Amino acid sequence: MEYIVETKNLTKRFGKEQAVSGLEMKIPKGEIYGFLGPNGAGKTTTIRMLLGLMRPTSGSVHIFQKDLRKERIRILNKVGSLVENPSYYPHLTAGENLEALRKIIGVPKTRIKEVLKIVRLEDVANKKVKGFSMGMKQRLGIAASLLNNPELLILDEPTNGLDPSGIIEIRQLIQRLPHDYGMTVIISSHLLSEIDQMATTVGVVSKGKMIFQDSIEEMRKFAKQKVVLKVSDSESAWRALLARGMRADWDEKNITLLNQSDENVATAVKYLVKDGFSIYRVEEEKKSLEDVFLQMTKEERLV
Amino acid sequence: MMMRLLRVDFLKIKRKGLWLLTVLGPFGVVALQMVNYGVRKDYLLQQSENDWLYYIEYISNFTHLAIVLGIVILTSFIASIENETNAWKQLIALPVSKLSVYLSKFTVITILLFISSVLLLLFSYSYGLYLDLGEEIPYITLLKYSFFPFLAALPVLALQLWIATVSHNQAIPVTVGVIGVILAYSAFTLPDWMIWKWPSLINGWDKPYINALLGLSVGILLYVIGMFDFKRRDVK
Repeated sequence: MEYIVETKNLTKRFGKEQAVSGLEMKIPKGEIYGFLGPNGAGKTTTIRMLLGLMRPTSGSVHIFQKDLRKERIRILNKVGSLVENPSYYPHLTAGENLEALRKIIGVPKTRIKEVLKIVRLEDVANKKVKGFSMGMKQRLGIAASLLNNPELLILDEPTNGLDPSGIIEIRQLIQRLPHDYGMTVIISSHLLSEIDQMATTVGVVSKGKMIFQDSIEEMRKFAKQKVVLKVSDSESAWRALLARGMRADWDEKNITLLNQSDENVATAVKYLVKDGFSIYRVEEEKKSLEDVFLQMTKEERLV
Repeated sequence: MMMRLLRVDFLKIKRKGLWLLTVLGPFGVVALQMVNYGVRKDYLLQQSENDWLYYIEYISNFTHLAIVLGIVILTSFIASIENETNAWKQLIALPVSKLSVYLSKFTVITILLFISSVLLLLFSYSYGLYLDLGEEIPYITLLKYSFFPFLAALPVLALQLWIATVSHNQAIPVTVGVIGVILAYSAFTLPDWMIWKWPSLINGWDKPYINALLGLSVGILLYVIGMFDFKRRDVK
């Protein structure tokens, strides 16, 4: 398979601290890659290495199947990025800020209007960025990252500081990009709900290590379902189920059936009815992706 | 690429007061002599046979101070434009080489200082004419004392730019700069090898061009060291 981004054994050490260790990132073309991990897991450090801002202690980065160390400038020509907090020149207007980047990139001047329109800042193009709200600055940063029509777009926490409607707007924009422009997108976040709604592939990083990397569907499979039964006299009901050879748990109040097939749930209910218990509720509780994520990163912490 | 970066850097210094400083520096130096000659012109004219040389010497007493101070402020300003919102990371993530980014910053300040020197020449020449210091105008000396301090100050420029671009804490370059200004102020008593003495054009051989040549060569050397250090470092 051809990967747009591929890192091999990517490692970065700051003194004794191992910020990123042996990271193997693989991103196929046209994916929205959710780069997920708790704060301080090494996401930003990894992204900095992808952009050539930091030199890896060891390992390699290949983007568009070219070695970043050898062909940095040619690669960056087709990469757009927004790293951490947006950078801007407060004493310049939004238009001038983009012009300062456009001159270096060398795209036509009309592109500034286009990207400002994409992020809905066209009305404030001639205002100084100093007076912008956090959300507007963030959007300007996204506009800047789109300036060179990138094939790979790297956004580090892109919805930081945006209000709910801004988040939805940016989310819709990002979801459009692979389809409309054939872009591959990397979005990092510590919020799974954020990634969940956009990403097609997920990489979970914890303590500098990649602990999961696959499609979001694969990750969802980790989300186990359980069925909760609320019955009269739950203890005896639970014992009755056990006596009939069913696997069930009891937590002083309810009976729970973990990872059981539909058939088994039906059988359990049948038994309970037969044994004369009243069944008040049969509820399914799905473990959210959030729980899976927490569990993954927690397990890693225990290791 | 270099031309593009330069144009961008000139765009970025808009509204930051760097141009004002470029004009204010040489104007200030000559303005001091306007006060000096305004108050006691007759006395000063009696002091020497060659009024032009005497006048130029007075001006050059302040040129080196203004130039060292100017360098400290200009380098710190130009670095702060990128430091303010850590725009380095945005700039370096563009398809540009780090070496040319550094060269562009250096060139911008060099151009500003050069313009300052041209203005110094114009201001001191015109005020000299106004003072009517004699028929024989020492053009060569006037040129020397306008442009040699600029060349001799290049090592200070290279050093300050280096420190300002690699420090996250701008107190460091400013502290070094202030010490530099104090050293430049006491140039007369400094040993010849100190770079802060050079812009004063004073040396043991009494030949100003030595300072200019030294400045040019050591300036280039320090520039190259700073540039490669800048390239080597990770962008935070």
